[in-house]
Amino acid sequence: MFTELNVFRMAHGMAFHAGQRQALIAQNMANADTPGYRGRDLVAFTDLVNNGPDRAALRATRAGHFGGTGGNPFDTEPVESKLPLAEGQNAVSVEEEMVKAVDTKRQHDRALAIYRSSLTILRTSLGRG
Amino acid sequence: MSDFGQALSVSASALRAQATRLRLTSENISNADTPGYRRKVVSFNAVQEERDGPEKVEVGRVRLDKSDLESIYDPGHPLADDGGHYEGSNVDLMIEIADAREAQRSYEANLKMFDQARKMSAGLMDLLRR
Repeated sequence: MFTELNVFRMAHGMAFHAGQRQALIAQNMANADTPGYRGRDLVAFTDLVNNGPDRAALRATRAGHFGGTGGNPFDTEPVESKLPLAEGQNAVSVEEEMVKAVDTKRQHDRALAIYRSSLTILRTSLGRG
Repeated sequence: MSDFGQALSVSASALRAQATRLRLTSENISNADTPGYRRKVVSFNAVQEERDGPEKVEVGRVRLDKSDLESIYDPGHPLADDGGHYEGSNVDLMIEIADAREAQRSYEANLKMFDQARKMSAGLMDLLRR
């Protein structure tokens, strides 16, 4: 457990993903009244972990796994919204963005809670309560 | 810039843009009875200031609405022509109030996003505390 600390890596990836997504949602929301703007979003974190054998690099054989210098394994590129783009309009749904924002906040809180709890376990095992 | 920094600056640019829009709307409303006044309209643009940077909101050029001015019949008015008409403004109060309300809603939505980014960042900092 103490040589790899996967749970920290996973929590880091999750919080990082939430932060990135939050920035995109803020951007979408900011441009909700900009004509011709197309909203963007990230692939959900769960999909990233489940469907990306190469990206979700939680294996000991991956480069950059030890030491953590190989960048974030959960780094991903934004994809454009598939909403139809009408003339003089834009493809942003404020309601959808709001829901996504709440989702992101919860994901971030969850990741931080996992991180903090794991930290507490580590501290306890070190005998510093 | 970090993701949270980006989120904050994008939300701030949107707040500025909506505030400008609200200002123009109130200019229109206050000049609704000014003879010859044309309503001001503005459009937003998405601007990417640096490569890989966020797309911020920028207020485009302020344009004047070219639609016809309202012709008002009032022979006693100093500006009235031979037929007793003078040109009022082309401001429609209903449109302006709806626009103002929309600007307010967008402002609130962006303020919420700003607050959320701030809270997430504060939560992160909280990890450093014991």
